[in-house]
Amino acid sequence: MSDFDQIIVGEEWENTDLSLLETLDHVLNRGLVIAGEITIAVADIDLIFVGLNVMVSSVETAQEVLRRREATE
Amino acid sequence: MRLYVYCLTEGIKRLDKTPRGVSGAPVQIVEFDEDLSALVSVCRSDAFQVTRKNALAHHEVVRSITEQTTPLPARFGTVVTIEQLRNYVSTHHQAIKAKLAHVRGGIEMTVRMIQSIAGAETSELSKNVGPGTAFLLEKRREILRDEAGAVQKGHLSAWLRENLGELIKDEKISVTASETVVLARADHLIERVDVQEYRTKMAKATQERPDIRFMVSGPWPPYSFANIELEFSSQFGVS
Repeated sequence: MSDFDQIIVGEEWENTDLSLLETLDHVLNRGLVIAGEITIAVADIDLIFVGLNVMVSSVETAQEVLRRREATE
Repeated sequence: MRLYVYCLTEGIKRLDKTPRGVSGAPVQIVEFDEDLSALVSVCRSDAFQVTRKNALAHHEVVRSITEQTTPLPARFGTVVTIEQLRNYVSTHHQAIKAKLAHVRGGIEMTVRMIQSIAGAETSELSKNVGPGTAFLLEKRREILRDEAGAVQKGHLSAWLRENLGELIKDEKISVTASETVVLARADHLIERVDVQEYRTKMAKATQERPDIRFMVSGPWPPYSFANIELEFSSQFGVS
């Protein structure tokens, strides 16, 4: 078994947790900043922490998915 | 009145099947000139909730308009007054038009790469030294990691361009290195007609690098190529 792996996320991306995280990562961390500030209210959590959580989750989820794929091969 | 902004776009005069926006609000067009407009929703309150549902609603609006034209997606959570929006567009008009021309007909593909560093040394040395020396050793490792990351970034860019060639209209690469793993992300702007060829070439290219784990996703609206802050900064020699 090679330790090489890949996930090509294509048209079916809506159906996977990984793709959900990718979507959130793009939406939260990328894009045009129009006013120089972003207005968000969610209890006492601001966007930086939300973004950080998404990023960490992305890496952890990605590694878990890859581990599971390796285990089934 | 405050507006939630989804994207700036060109050539959109009316909305046909645009989905509901954040908090279920309808999506409207704000026109700035005969070609340039923004997709917005009227905010019912000063702030809105950061929820998965709202983030996905933002993406769905941007994605749906991307089927008609290539927009400049706004970052999730952008709420402005109509005056702020008009002021932003008028003061950045040239840069916005240039950016729209840059992404026109394009979409974004994202490649994530995870590479384990073979034989990576742990911080055993730090355990037998004083706090000052340990601090300096850690700073040294940090500098070496940054240098290694910069080298990796150059190699990665060259390798991707070698394999994807002229498919890449623009790219953004970020590399984060630790003692045991290198995480890299490449965002590529490509022509939307080239998606299948991009996938085929990436699938072939990844077979050459069994030492790296790859994840390829897309097509996305050009989130990574929408910001115009770098153009503004470059006027002052800051990159």
